[in-house]
Amino acid sequence: MSALSAHVLEEIRELPARFPQPRSAVMPALDLAQEELGHLTPEAMTEVAHALNLDAGYVEGVATFYSLFHLQPVGKHRFYMCTNLSCMLRGANELVEHVQKSIGVSEPGEVSKDGLFSYEGVECLGACEYAPMMRLDHRYHYDLTLEKLDSLIAERKGSSPRSGEVGAAEPRRVGTSKPRAPRKKKSDG
Amino acid sequence: MADLRGTHGESNGNLLTRWFGTADLHKLDVYESKAGGYTALRKALLEMEPAAITNEVKTSGLRGRGGAGFATGVKWSFIKRDTPEPKYVVVNADESEPGTAKDRYIMENCPHMLLEGIMIAAYAVGANQAWIYIRGEYDEPYRMLLEAIRELREKGYLGPKPMGKDFPLDIQVYRGHGAYICGEETALLESLEGKRAQPRSRPPFPAVKGAWGRPTLLNNVETLATVPWIINNGGAAYAKLGTEKNPGTRLLTVSGNVKRPGIYEVEIGKTFRHIIMELAGGPPDGRKVKVFWPGGSSAPVLPESMLDTTCDAEALAAAKSMGGSGGVIVMDDSHCIIEAAHRLLQFYAHESCGKCTPCRIGGDWAVRMYERILANQGSQVELDNLRQVSDALQNGRCLCGLGDSAGWVIDSTFRHFRSEYEDHALRHECNVGKVMANA
Ligand SMILES: Cc1cc2nc3c(=O)[nH]c(=O)nc-3n(C[C@H](O)[C@H](O)[C@H](O)COP(=O)(O)O)c2cc1C
Ligand code: SF4
Ligand code: FES
Repeated sequence: MSALSAHVLEEIRELPARFPQPRSAVMPALDLAQEELGHLTPEAMTEVAHALNLDAGYVEGVATFYSLFHLQPVGKHRFYMCTNLSCMLRGANELVEHVQKSIGVSEPGEVSKDGLFSYEGVECLGACEYAPMMRLDHRYHYDLTLEKLDSLIAERKGSSPRSGEVGAAEPRRVGTSKPRAPRKKKSDG
Repeated sequence: MADLRGTHGESNGNLLTRWFGTADLHKLDVYESKAGGYTALRKALLEMEPAAITNEVKTSGLRGRGGAGFATGVKWSFIKRDTPEPKYVVVNADESEPGTAKDRYIMENCPHMLLEGIMIAAYAVGANQAWIYIRGEYDEPYRMLLEAIRELREKGYLGPKPMGKDFPLDIQVYRGHGAYICGEETALLESLEGKRAQPRSRPPFPAVKGAWGRPTLLNNVETLATVPWIINNGGAAYAKLGTEKNPGTRLLTVSGNVKRPGIYEVEIGKTFRHIIMELAGGPPDGRKVKVFWPGGSSAPVLPESMLDTTCDAEALAAAKSMGGSGGVIVMDDSHCIIEAAHRLLQFYAHESCGKCTPCRIGGDWAVRMYERILANQGSQVELDNLRQVSDALQNGRCLCGLGDSAGWVIDSTFRHFRSEYEDHALRHECNVGKVMANA
């Protein structure tokens, strides 16, 4: 049985015609695969390669270069939390710690026990005027506070946050930042 | 959409953001009926020779807003229009320079202004196909561009005969996948071709051999979004604004420790004091500006004492910095310069494509030195190592600008904050503690 469904493979085979050269289809194809499976398994990458007449090693080489491709399982909801300078100066690191604690994981990429969440600290997302901010479920979330994070998490767990906790009086302030842990480096090439 | 933070509306001197804030400006009919949209395209296609369009852009003195500041009209004239082979316009909408959000601001508010600029450029250089390379995280701008392009196809502005002119035009959108290096023009082209995004050596330049080996005009979003105004009002009118060598207005993203972060359209030549203290309201009460990055994280830092520097390329070069992407990051005196430099070196180390040795290894090496200094394990050795790494990264030892940028962070923070480096590394003291205690 193949990892990717027949209709996704069909869609992938139609992609090359959209480009002056077929190789350009590789990333859109990986997008479709990742959308279906949540992350890119070796089998899925091999099937993408076959569908596009490319070498499987080549496809994997492309997938490992770009940070939006996930080669390991990820949470259903992923917190891409900006920790670059403009967000860091407005408390991003404390928000990352809070998400870690709230979803019960100790490092980026780790999936919460219920499979619902994972987080990553990411580089500038190009919305610095709304710092601190993050991307979650294909949307940007702005002016983050600990309370906002709590309610975003609660909503996704299917329970609404307890009243009185959210929006009560002054939002808790996020203070100055601490240096964060070093991140995994992109594979050399 | 979230509340608009930054310039919009009629206030003096807004060329790009004049109509931002108008309800439904992202829709074709509103852009045309309220904002005079597509009059420039009509004029270009029906009343102007392609060479005259390029000349108008030359006359305007417009310089690229992506970072390098190259003269836009001159770049357009590098493409030989009358060769039979396919040519492309590729739009750099990768916007990943830390501290920069202005291309998003344009695309979210007025996608048609960008599309109109792209179509004019395509006609001027003889390209029938344009590609917008947009960073993968920009979900909303991506959706808006697709919808705007759909409207254009439906109306026939994109298609075999735009506005009746026998010049087929189409625009496609290609999404990036999270890699800063894709903003570098040749890495972007590699990525568009389905490869790992590692910069190419130049020459050949994209104008000769670009996307899929064809002549390619590559411009930034803001650069192209400025073109309709220039065609409507004339290059000479544009050249009257700003400074002589650096005309016009540009969008500055002001972020960090300011009261009113936002995207401000500013006539080039204004001081950073005006931009940071007046437009963005300065740092929170009780805090002082300590340092600012005048043009994205890649632009060498300037200390508070240089707030009167003007935001034109010449003045910034004299101050040993640059206008870059227009991202003005402000840090107040409650933050430590070593921590900031450490964070940026993590960024450059993480985003290195790995092609050149100094960049691949030097970035990680510098991060380790900063970690030791921040953990109070520093000494003269760490300072010397940082200087060495910064040297190895600069002055043409790397293939692309990423290496230089990483070196400049070390170099410029050291130049202006030497005593803080020494306090931290040699005496294991952070001066922020003292500042906060005296506050
Ligand atoms: C490491 C690096 C990253 C860059 N990132 C961007 C970017 O995100 N957006 C952009 O328009 N230009 C970026 N540039 C500049 C481009 O290489 C190129 O000069 C620019 O897109 C040309 O357009 P312009 O002439 O309209 O400015 C980057 C350059 C380097 C070296
Ligand atoms: S300087 Fe760095 S990012 Fe640029 S080509 Fe070399 S290794 Fe890649
Ligand atoms: S630094 Fe966080 S969005 Fe730019």
